[in-house]
Amino acid sequence: MNFGYSPEQEALRSEVQTFIRDNVTDELVEEMDIHSGTDRPRGRGPLGQALYRQIGERGWLGIAYPSEYGGQGGSRIDQYIVEEEFLRAGIQISMIGSGAPAILAAGTEEQKRYYIPRLIRGEVSFCLGFTEPHAGADLANLRCSAVRDGDEFVINGQKMYTTSAHVSTHIYLMARTDRTASKHKGISIFIFPMDTPGLTVRPLWTIQNNPSAPKFTTYGAARTNEVFFDDVRIPASALLGEENDGWRVGSMGLNLDRVGAGRYLISVRRDEDIINFLKSDEALGARLSESEVVRDKVAELWTEAQVCRLMTMRSMSIVERGGAFSYEGSAEKVWAPEHGVRISESIMQMLGPHGSLLRGSPHSVQDGLYAHNVMGSFQSGINHGSVQIMRDQVARRGLGMPSSRGNKAAGVK
Amino acid sequence: MDVLLDEEEEMIAESARGYLEANCATSLVRKVEADPLGYAPDLWRGAAELGWAGMCLPEEHGGSEMPLVYLGLVMREIGRTVAPLPLLPSAVASITLARHGGAALKDRHLPQVASGEAILTWAFFETDARLRPETVKMTAREEDDGFILNGRKLFVDHYAAADLCLVVARTEAGLSLFLVDTDAPGISTRELVTLAKDRQSEVNFENVRVPREALVGQAGDAWPQIEEMLDLATILLCAQMVGATRKDAEMAFDYAKVRSAFGQPIGAFQSVQHMCADMQIWADAAELLTFEALWRLDQGLPAAMEISQAKSFCNDRLEAAVRNSQIIHGGIGFMMEFDLHLWFRRVSAWSMRMGTSLEHRARIAELLLDSPGQVRLGRSVSPAPAVPVTPELTEV
Repeated sequence: MNFGYSPEQEALRSEVQTFIRDNVTDELVEEMDIHSGTDRPRGRGPLGQALYRQIGERGWLGIAYPSEYGGQGGSRIDQYIVEEEFLRAGIQISMIGSGAPAILAAGTEEQKRYYIPRLIRGEVSFCLGFTEPHAGADLANLRCSAVRDGDEFVINGQKMYTTSAHVSTHIYLMARTDRTASKHKGISIFIFPMDTPGLTVRPLWTIQNNPSAPKFTTYGAARTNEVFFDDVRIPASALLGEENDGWRVGSMGLNLDRVGAGRYLISVRRDEDIINFLKSDEALGARLSESEVVRDKVAELWTEAQVCRLMTMRSMSIVERGGAFSYEGSAEKVWAPEHGVRISESIMQMLGPHGSLLRGSPHSVQDGLYAHNVMGSFQSGINHGSVQIMRDQVARRGLGMPSSRGNKAAGVK
Repeated sequence: MDVLLDEEEEMIAESARGYLEANCATSLVRKVEADPLGYAPDLWRGAAELGWAGMCLPEEHGGSEMPLVYLGLVMREIGRTVAPLPLLPSAVASITLARHGGAALKDRHLPQVASGEAILTWAFFETDARLRPETVKMTAREEDDGFILNGRKLFVDHYAAADLCLVVARTEAGLSLFLVDTDAPGISTRELVTLAKDRQSEVNFENVRVPREALVGQAGDAWPQIEEMLDLATILLCAQMVGATRKDAEMAFDYAKVRSAFGQPIGAFQSVQHMCADMQIWADAAELLTFEALWRLDQGLPAAMEISQAKSFCNDRLEAAVRNSQIIHGGIGFMMEFDLHLWFRRVSAWSMRMGTSLEHRARIAELLLDSPGQVRLGRSVSPAPAVPVTPELTEV
């Protein structure tokens, strides 16, 4: 049992902090912004490319990925440290997300050699083409089809809530390849460029966009989209893993997407923010910090935030030992998002009317940060598997609870 | 960083669990609940042979100088079987004695404690039973070659079982610690009737004479040592609560799989599954908070914040977990002859001891809000030396 970081890891953290202090400018953050209005692939602006070169030279890219595919063959914890520090500075350097683990597990040698190094260097980024108008939580209900035609597949259908589709280079698509099979069995995964003919991206404007949230403050601020496929022809080599094995291949990535620095920080940053606000010279903060009720609430929420941190450490420990999650990732995906909601709603009642003012308003608190957070915090409990589904998984996978008759009818294990 | 148990820790926990599961049936727990002695001597002798009584005591006094994390794992297993053992008070008092007592006192008593022949306890709480120095009214008047103790202590664990008691009293110089024979002339006791049905006493001291050598550390200014003792008792109690809650929750999980209603096991209903999922998540969280605090104590790092986090969380969430377990069990859960209450009553009682959630959260708030500099998760707040604040913390 060791809850501390090694001296080498501590040194890495301060090295990254120093690098950020010396090199990360507002212009760079703006250019790397994943919810900027531009349609330029993220990380492909001149400043972003320079950043990737610089941090690549320092060996901070793809730390935990195998060296034969452009990684460092290092520790997941080191990678986490680098990711956390950059995220705190407003930059998401790892756009590897769900794709890379699944490619490593199920991809061909050619796919690994092409995608992994480019993902690590930020030259390739995926949007996730999973959700559809009729397939959200019940993802296996998806209808978007891929029909084989010689050496090609022809894609037709629609995807929804495809976050960052407008700034990604590729789509990581889940589509139905066998209509006759049971719903989990006829699904496949494809990876192909966003500029393939027949593919159209249209924005979906969320409640966070008018006015747009302060940068990096809240969940759901990234622009999301709908994506249409109209006889999109892609080579059969775009298939990831076996045809009709996509449900299994896709789940290899999702579990890893539910944990890590991004999920952790988005759930706990408001805890730090509100406490630092209470400690500041602002009259409102100073007044609140003397209230016994506020102090009690803040201490309770801080303890909950520590649990978010500790559950992230537990997930890292499991991954670092080469183990697999039984239910731990799902547990973290219940606790952290729900904590994010509790802190957000508690802050509403601490701040009162000032807390309701959005970005750009006179008298807003910290540029409307907390008001925007009200619109964003609950989204973390929905995306990538809702907390209800996560609780099902804790109970069934973790505790061995039986499946209900209703679930059997729906084909859920 | 690896927050999972390593091989040796797994071994400690498994061996403790094996011993207790083989030797501590619930019939024994029920028997001891009705016994004024308040613990099971045979079970204690066996535990002492396994080295539990002296786990964290110095080797020179017969102990094994193991980390507190190991003792925490044993406490967790004791909680799991709600084993009637006086290990918690004896370990806390003896570790305090080992850290702050004089050589003569340690030489005389610690080897007997480590072998399990002597049992120790400690007495801090009085009528105002909060974890604060000003609550201590008991006096120790210096006279001739010793002190005269007068006052009343409450909530003293296993006093009837103990040979010696580490007593907090106020001398002219301030708070001090004394090691007192539990049957010294002038001492009288009354048994408290606790929700846990364990042994806690009111102990009255009327002109109790103790020699100067009974003083542990210096006369006066002992609050830091006392706070350290209370913190240790608090976090080990958390470990015990975690173990007890685990077992209590597992009973509910198992029951939900076999109890049928509306044509299926109740555990197949999502409303029940989600209660169970929460119980597991809360117990996991409580365990992580508890063992991070114990680990920090072992590293010599400040742990006041972590201890208060753990206890306030255990008080609220583990109580909720065992209450969920009662609800899942329905009527059978509150039958005297069904064992579940052995855990429920204890976790509930323990949640009220060693600091309420309100007290611990007040301490967390002090450390967070009344300290200089900005906070950041994962970085020690005061009283650790402040790490320079990095500029990105001010950007939002």
